[in-house]
Amino acid sequence: MPTVIVPPPYQGPTRAVGRVEVAAGSVRDCLDELEARFPGFRAQVMSGDAVHRFVKLFVNGELLAGPDLERKLEGSDEIEIVAAIAGG
Amino acid sequence: MTGGPSGDRILYVDMTSQTTRFEPFPEAWKLLGGRALSAKILLDQCDPACDPLGPDNVLVMAPGVLAGTAAPTSGRISIGGKSPLTNGIKEANSGGQPGQHLMKLGIRAVVVKGQPKDPGKRYGLELNAEGAKLVPADAYKGRWNYALCEELAQRYAKTASFMSCGPAGELRMRGASVACTDQDNRYPARHAARGGLGAVMGSKGLKYVAIDPGRTGVRQPADRKGFGELCKTYTKGYQAGPQMFKHGTSSVVPIANMLHTFPYKNRTSGQSPDVATLDGARIVESFATRGGGMHNCMTGCIVQCSNIVHDAEGKYKTSALEFETLTLLGANCAVKSWEDVADLDRLCDELGLDTIETGAALAVLMDAGQMEWGDAEGMKALLRGLPEGDAQARAIGDGAVATGKHTGHHRVPHAKGQAIPAWDPRPLKATGVTYCTSPMGADHTAGLIVNPGLQPDQFAWESQKAQIVNAVCDSSGFCQFLQPSMDDIRSFYGALYGSEVSREQIHDIGWQCLADEWEFNRRAGFGDADDRLADCMATDPVGAVPTVFDVSPEIIRAAKQRMPAREDLFSVKATG
Repeated sequence: MPTVIVPPPYQGPTRAVGRVEVAAGSVRDCLDELEARFPGFRAQVMSGDAVHRFVKLFVNGELLAGPDLERKLEGSDEIEIVAAIAGG
Repeated sequence: MTGGPSGDRILYVDMTSQTTRFEPFPEAWKLLGGRALSAKILLDQCDPACDPLGPDNVLVMAPGVLAGTAAPTSGRISIGGKSPLTNGIKEANSGGQPGQHLMKLGIRAVVVKGQPKDPGKRYGLELNAEGAKLVPADAYKGRWNYALCEELAQRYAKTASFMSCGPAGELRMRGASVACTDQDNRYPARHAARGGLGAVMGSKGLKYVAIDPGRTGVRQPADRKGFGELCKTYTKGYQAGPQMFKHGTSSVVPIANMLHTFPYKNRTSGQSPDVATLDGARIVESFATRGGGMHNCMTGCIVQCSNIVHDAEGKYKTSALEFETLTLLGANCAVKSWEDVADLDRLCDELGLDTIETGAALAVLMDAGQMEWGDAEGMKALLRGLPEGDAQARAIGDGAVATGKHTGHHRVPHAKGQAIPAWDPRPLKATGVTYCTSPMGADHTAGLIVNPGLQPDQFAWESQKAQIVNAVCDSSGFCQFLQPSMDDIRSFYGALYGSEVSREQIHDIGWQCLADEWEFNRRAGFGDADDRLADCMATDPVGAVPTVFDVSPEIIRAAKQRMPAREDLFSVKATG
């Protein structure tokens, strides 16, 4: 099953769980599944139907161009959600 | 350990006798720089019970261990002393050029003691290859920082950088900063801001420090090949990654708002209705029509998080308009527009004031009903008149707690007398544990943990881990926005000195820094009862699910008990 890596700032809904295996065939399905399991998760990543401007999605270490949420996933894929959280 | 840069010195400056002297830098301190070095010097040489604005306070200016080398983004400097704001030990960290320049001259620390007999006199300290000299500087008395640096740029070589205190420091205001000039224009836009060390500098009659390394090259490591490879690999790895700070920390505004840590109206809410017009994306958009852009504040920086902000006419307005400033001078005062915050940022930089403390103080004033919420023009007028100002202006310059006393207002969010920064301890409770236990008071750079999902049994370790990692980072010269880990830092130290630095050694450096600071504070009269936040953080909720800071004293105490190292201590990235 694909794995989603959740950064610490977004672990509120996942209760500090940072790696989640998700039965999903696409990036969009992953985010939907995470929302079903951890209500409130999707709003951290998405603004309506688009990814927040300040969020980047990586699949297997490569930036997801677009981002193409329909990108098909294999069982061993890792989706990483990255957002800049720090600031002086 | 053997090898590495030799001939390093400490410069002692006595402002009472107007003398300077160099001492050799102790071999045993080779792995100490920045914050850890400042802590050691202060514990050893500063009376923790002294008057922070009197002759017995000690002002330390210590670059990081790697400053002056070719390591990327490694030139930061720590300014240290007893804080007139908290009455405890203080380290404030800054970018800009002075850290690199001091190290190129082989000066590991400048230690300023004493006080001129005549409090009306001003002096400059000139540092170059020939040595150190105190010179009269009465001609610059009261000068605002930008005008001062413009004049200094005419007086000194193009290769010189400057540190200064503005009128706020000269007036010994407890929110005063120490300004450092940046790389490109030598503007005083980088500040060692928190804790009032500008007032300590001003109390010593020291108006500026001019550091000229001439054409000296980078400091050479013992293992040149290994160090060079580390620099290349690290830089390549960073540039291949997401580079999340390439548009500056101001781009964090919308995420912070989403997490209910974008405080509004003196922290009575964690979200602002003006998030769209305070968003750093507006600043980036302005570059297309006004000019300005992103740049390095120091030579060798690969992060380039500093913005240069222009006005509507395309003229320079300010630089390094950051997330904390947009929050404390923006949302927290109900100011709507980033452009007004840019004006306020410039004013604070000119006067030499901490934007966080000043924004928090102004919000207390507004919450007390003595200024309208969002009155940006009123805020600017008050700041412009600060040097000649009345008791109210003085209170603002002295910070949030002083403003609370002046107004009699009950809601003053602080820890150990220092105003709480943007990162709110109510949704971010582990960060709140840092604010309680850090020797610095409420300081997000002391150990920021942005993880609202953490459970209470994780708070103590997460805070301790972050405090150790950030103490080591702030001792190294690396910028926290490069986000090095302790393993990264010890690799660079190993190549610098030609001898491996173990995980145990780097852990000890970080822990000892904290231990020295806690001991200083203990001798200054602090106890366990001081490891707390202002009451309003426990009574005033924020968040979609109303949340207060309700961490138990037992958990808070546990964060100060050294825990066995875990793997993540060495791999986690510095965050501040």
